[in-house]
Amino acid sequence: MILLAHAGHWLVNAAYFVPVVGFLGWLGWTELRNRREKRAEGQAADR
Amino acid sequence: MIEIAHGIVGRSDLPIPEWLFGWAAAVVLVVSFVALAVLWPEPKLSRASFRPLPGLSRVLHSPPVDLLCGLAGVLLLVLTVYAGFEGSQTPTANFAPTFVYVIFWLGLVGLSVLLGNVFKAFNPWRALGRAVSWIARTAARAPMPAPLSYPERLGHWPAAAGIFLFAALELASSDGDTPQTLAIAALVYSVIQFVGMALYGVEEWTERGDGFSVYFALFARISPWGTRDGVIGLRPPLAGLADFRPLAGTVPLLAVMIGSVTFDGAAEAPIWTGMAPDISDFFQTLGLSPEKALELTFLVGLIAAIAIVYGFYTLGVRGAQSVGGGFTTRELSRAFVASLVPIAFAYVAAHYFTLLLYQGQAILTLSSNPFGFLASNPLGEVGTDIFGTADRSIDYGVIGATSAWYWMVGFVVVGHVAALTLAHDKALTIYSDVKLAVRSQYWMLAVMVGFTSLALWLLSQANQ
Repeated sequence: MILLAHAGHWLVNAAYFVPVVGFLGWLGWTELRNRREKRAEGQAADR
Repeated sequence: MIEIAHGIVGRSDLPIPEWLFGWAAAVVLVVSFVALAVLWPEPKLSRASFRPLPGLSRVLHSPPVDLLCGLAGVLLLVLTVYAGFEGSQTPTANFAPTFVYVIFWLGLVGLSVLLGNVFKAFNPWRALGRAVSWIARTAARAPMPAPLSYPERLGHWPAAAGIFLFAALELASSDGDTPQTLAIAALVYSVIQFVGMALYGVEEWTERGDGFSVYFALFARISPWGTRDGVIGLRPPLAGLADFRPLAGTVPLLAVMIGSVTFDGAAEAPIWTGMAPDISDFFQTLGLSPEKALELTFLVGLIAAIAIVYGFYTLGVRGAQSVGGGFTTRELSRAFVASLVPIAFAYVAAHYFTLLLYQGQAILTLSSNPFGFLASNPLGEVGTDIFGTADRSIDYGVIGATSAWYWMVGFVVVGHVAALTLAHDKALTIYSDVKLAVRSQYWMLAVMVGFTSLALWLLSQANQ
């Protein structure tokens, strides 16, 4: 029960940072996708 | 570490959980970002008009006003030092701690944002430096030697060091709120300022090396009141930051400004109260006394908070660099540093709002009895009631806890939207491609959302 109580406390604190973590995750995924597209374009141009 | 220099927040009854305010603030920032991308396609702030007010400028810059303001600043400095040495050593009874940590350190931030660089007129060190300079020029039989040229590499580093040391005194020192300690600190700071002014000239040092002068001048750039070519005038809010030229040490200075408030808030959080005793125990095993070990622990915490703020901003800058444009990290770091000033204001305003409202009232009592002695004192110390307000008490009903929370959230949101606007406007001036400018701002948006989340989390720690 104590562990659950501590987990609940930590979850509430973590909730504050969900927007920034989510946003950074989205940014990182966008950058990866852009790099993959650029690499694909580069390979197509080489052919 | 210091009871007096801390925000006072009681429990508030809110309609939604506090963390949901953070999510709402993040949504506001994202919506603002989209609005800026669509509705703000060209830089406006850096091309903002300035409306000079020569009549007002003549009055406010006149020699009598100049002299009176400088004299007032010097008298307040003398009173602070004298009360610090000769008055009661109880922090809340003595004029010095409340004046320094509340009226000066917090009150002047608000005044600077509203009215512009008022501290420049009241700066006691600048006033004394100009007075000594005038006397020396008048008394000298030969032309005075020119001051040394201020090194570019020095930039704002002395100012950053000064603000850091003040924050360390406030947040890490065990007797940072003791009146005598503050009096000694004021004298030490004065000596440093006089040496700096003697070497590099009064105005040059004041504008770059005097920590408090640089600190308040940065906030003053948010204000619609500004000065151009020596003439006071009006400009759009934030325009003063759009043409701000960063120097070496400006980014660390802003990191200290935001990081110190961050640590002050985080020091109440369980994450810190849980680890601080262990860190202190470690320092005690190295031979330090319990008191010194605790001071060093808090100093380490302060430095860590500043480093985290600096690191997070640098992460955002590196992200912005990754979208292209041919800029170095250093160039982008300096280009966007002005956008940290509204964030610094948001942090100070939100965190210390209630302290200024409550403890700020105490200055009325302390002005009447600056030494803090009781009227009938068996030790022979003399209590005073100069303005008849010595018995006045603080009205804690001036604002409720819930209203205070909404004000604090408001400061955080408005400050970060202002920061986003500044960064967006700056990006439009330095990137040739508008799409590239907007893409670079995705990373600045991440930085803003991060600082917003952190600010509200810090406020929630004090709200428990």
